[in-house]
Amino acid sequence: MGTAERADAGRTLRAIARQRLRDGRVSTLAFASVFGLYAAVQPVGYRHAYPTAAERLGFARSFAGNVGLRLFYGEPHDVATVTGYAAWRVGGTLAVAAAAYGLFAAVRAQRAEEDAGRAELLLAGPVGRRTLALAAVLAVGAGALTLWLAELAGLGLGGVPLGGAAYLALATASVVPVCAGVGALAGQLAPTRRLALELGGALVGALFLLRAVADTTAGLGWLRWATPLGWAEELRPFAGPRPLVLLLPASATFLLALAARMLAARRDVGAGILPVRDTADPHLLLLSSPWLQAFRTTRGTLLAWVASAAVFGYVLGAVSTSISPADVSKATQAEIARLGAGSITTPAGYLGFVFLFFVLAVAFFACAQVGAARQEEAGQLETLLALPVARGRWLAGRLALAAAAAAVLSLATGLATWAGAATAGADVALPRLLEAGANALPAAYLFLGLAALAYAVAPGAGAPVGYGLVAVTFLWQLVGALLGAPRWLVQATPFAHVALVPAQPFRPAAAALMLALGAAAALAALAAFRARDLAGG
Amino acid sequence: MRWLAGAGADERLRVWAIAERAGARCGGDGHAMAAIRTEGLGKRYGETLALDGLDLTVEEGEVYGYLGPNGAGKTTTIRLLLGLHRPSAGRAELFGLDAWEDPVRAHARVAYVPGEPALWPSLTGAETLEFLARVRGGVDVRYRDELVERFELDMRKRVRALSKGNRQKVQLVAALSTRADLLLLDEPTSGLDPLMEMAFRECVREAKERGQTVFLSSHILSEVEAVCDRVGILRRGRLVDQGTLAELRHLSRQTVDVTFAGPAPRLPPLPNVAVEPAGRNALRFSVSGSIAPLLAALAGQPVATLSSRQPSLEEIFLHHYDGSGDGGDGGEG
Repeated sequence: MGTAERADAGRTLRAIARQRLRDGRVSTLAFASVFGLYAAVQPVGYRHAYPTAAERLGFARSFAGNVGLRLFYGEPHDVATVTGYAAWRVGGTLAVAAAAYGLFAAVRAQRAEEDAGRAELLLAGPVGRRTLALAAVLAVGAGALTLWLAELAGLGLGGVPLGGAAYLALATASVVPVCAGVGALAGQLAPTRRLALELGGALVGALFLLRAVADTTAGLGWLRWATPLGWAEELRPFAGPRPLVLLLPASATFLLALAARMLAARRDVGAGILPVRDTADPHLLLLSSPWLQAFRTTRGTLLAWVASAAVFGYVLGAVSTSISPADVSKATQAEIARLGAGSITTPAGYLGFVFLFFVLAVAFFACAQVGAARQEEAGQLETLLALPVARGRWLAGRLALAAAAAAVLSLATGLATWAGAATAGADVALPRLLEAGANALPAAYLFLGLAALAYAVAPGAGAPVGYGLVAVTFLWQLVGALLGAPRWLVQATPFAHVALVPAQPFRPAAAALMLALGAAAALAALAAFRARDLAGG
Repeated sequence: MRWLAGAGADERLRVWAIAERAGARCGGDGHAMAAIRTEGLGKRYGETLALDGLDLTVEEGEVYGYLGPNGAGKTTTIRLLLGLHRPSAGRAELFGLDAWEDPVRAHARVAYVPGEPALWPSLTGAETLEFLARVRGGVDVRYRDELVERFELDMRKRVRALSKGNRQKVQLVAALSTRADLLLLDEPTSGLDPLMEMAFRECVREAKERGQTVFLSSHILSEVEAVCDRVGILRRGRLVDQGTLAELRHLSRQTVDVTFAGPAPRLPPLPNVAVEPAGRNALRFSVSGSIAPLLAALAGQPVATLSSRQPSLEEIFLHHYDGSGDGGDGGEG
C-alpha cells in the first residue's frame, strides 16, 4: 500500500469512527454525567454522614459486613476511610454501569448501521469490513476514555487524591472493553441488533451474578476471578493495589475481539452466525388488534425482562437472611436510616432496601416500552393508522400493554424473591413480597405517563426523557439526604415517596397521588399525540 | 388456494364497515360525494413549503394519476389525505369526511399502499395479511387468495426475509383485497419487476371496473398513461396542470413533421407555431392549439409527406419541468 493510499485509509477510518462516536454521543454523555456525579457525591456524603473515625469504624464493622450490600457493591476492603468507602461504593456501582455501557456501545457501533442497511453503502465503497470493525473499536475506546475521565473528575471533586482516583477509575473503566468484547461477540452471533443486546445482556447479567455469588457466599470467593466485575475489585484500589490484574481484562478483551473477528469473517452483512428461520407456518393468535399484535412482537423481550427480574429476585431473597441485628450497633442503624435505607438488619428491612432498586428497574422498563412505541411509529405505524384505527386507541393500547407487563414483572419478582427467601428460611410472608413488588407500580406508572407525554410532544424525546428523569430522581434520592439538602428538596422525587415495603407499610396516599399524576400525564399524552404529525423513520 | 383457515373472522367489523359505506353514500342531503376533495390544502415543515394551495377533486370511480418528481409533494399530499399529518392551510376531505378530524370513519372506506413498505419484520406474509384484515375488516378473502397467486407471493416467508418488491406486493395484496371504495397508492410499483408491474396494472383496471376510485401517485409516466383517466402534475408543491390525457394533449404542443419534394420553403411566421429544420428537405413544426393556420400556409407548397403526432405524457411532463423559467428540477422517470 502506497503512502497516499494509507493516508486515504486513515482518513476514511477516522471519518467512520467519528460518525460512530456521534451516533452514541447522547448515551455516552448520559453515562459520563452519572459517573461524574455519583463519584463526586459518594465521598462527600460519606464525610457528611460519618464525620468521626469512631463512627466510620462502627460503619465498617456492621454495614460493610452485610452480605446483601456486598451483592450490590462488591467486597469491601477498607470502608473506614473516605477513599476505601469510595472504592467500594463508587467502584462497585459504576463497574456495573460500565459493563452495561460497554455492551450497548459495542452493539450499537457494530450493528446499528447494519440493521438500518447503511453499512452496505459503506462496504460497497472502498471501505472494508476490517475498517468498520476498527472504527467500532475506536468509538468504544473513546467512550471508555470519556467515562474514565468523568469518574476521575468526579472523584477529584469529591476530594479523593488524584493518583488513587485515576487508578480506581481505571479499575472501573477496565470493565468497558471486556463487556464491549462480549457485545461484539453477541453482535456476530445474533441475527439482529435487538437480539444481540438481549444475548449480550444475558451474558453480562451472568457475569454480575458470578461476582455477586463470589462476594456473598463463603468459600466461593475464587469465582471473582471468573468475571471482569470481579477483576475490577481485585485491582484493589486504595487497599493494596494490584495493577498486574489489569492483564486479565486486557487479554480477555483481546481474545473476545479475536473471536468476534473470526466470526465476522464468516458472517453475511446484516445477519448473524446463529441461524434464523425465515419461513414459518402461520400462527394466528394475538393478531386481532394492534396492541395484541404489539404484545406478540415484543413478547420475547418481555419474557427476558421477567426471567432476569425473577432470577435476581430469587438471589436477593436467598441472601436476605445474611445479617442479624446483633451485628449492628444502634448508632450505626441510625446512620443507615439517615442514608434513607431504613433498618436493613432484618430480612424484611434488607428486602425493603433492595426493592427500591427494583422500583428503578420497573421504571426503566416502562420507559423502554415508550421507546418501543416510538420504534413502531418509525416503522409500521403509518400502515396501521391508515386503517380505521384511532391514534389515541393505538397509543392507549401500547400504554396499557406497558402497564400490564410492568404489573406481571412486579408480581413475578415478588414471587421469586419470596421463593428465594423461603429457601434461605427467612421469615417473610408471600403476600408482603407480592405487595413489595406491586409497590413499584405507582412510581413506574408515573414515569410511564411522563415518558409518554414527552413522546407525544416530541417523538424522539420519549424514552430519553423518561430514562433521564428516572436516573436523576433516583440519584437524588440516594445522595440528596447525604448532601444535607433541605427536606422539601429531598422529598421532591417520586422515589422519596415509595414506601420500603416489606419493611414499612405501603403508603396508599403517596401511591394514589403518583397514579393520578401518571394518569393525567398519560391523558395529556393522548391529546398531544392526536394533535401532531406522525413522525417517520 | 386457501392458506388461512380463520380468515375474515371479524364479521362484526366487516358489517360495520359496510353499513358505514352505505350510510355515507346516501347519507345527508343525498348528493354524490367526491372521493377526494381538497381546498387550498397546504403543508409547511419548518422552512420548507411542501404543499401549496392544492385544490383537487377526484370523483368516485375515477382513476387519478398524481405525477411529480421526487420531493414534489406527492407523499405529503397522501399523508394529509390520510390525516397522518395536519394541514397548515386548507382542508382535505374523503367522501365528505374531514381527513384530519374524522380519520377513522374515512379510513373505513380507504385502503393505502405506502411508498416505503412498512410491515412487521417478524410476521410472515400470511400473518401480516391476516392481521391487517382483522384490524380493518371487510376483506374479500377469495379475491385475496387469487391476488396472492397472481403476485406470486410466498406466504410462509417472514417479512424481514422479503425483498423490497415482495414487501410491496404484500401491501398491495392487503390493500386491493379490501375492495375499499378508495385506493390510495403511493408509488406502489417502485420495487416491482415488469411482470408484476403488468399484474398491478391489471388489478387497477379491475378495480376501476368494480367502481373503486384509485389515486395513484407515481413518477412512472407509462404506468399513469396506461391506467389513469385523469392526471394532475405536481411541481414543487403546486398543481401545475390537470385534466384528462386528451385535454392535456390539446393544451400542449403537438409536433408536425413535413417533408417536401424539393428544398424546404421559407414560410411566413405564424402565431403559435415554432419551426426548426429536420434534415434535408424537411421541417418540424411545433404547434400549440389548432394546426389549421399551418395547414393553410402549407397549402401551396410541394409537400411530399406530412405526419402529425400527439405529444406523449412524457413530453407534457417534461414541458412542465423544462424551460418554465426556474428549471433545475427537471423530471425523471
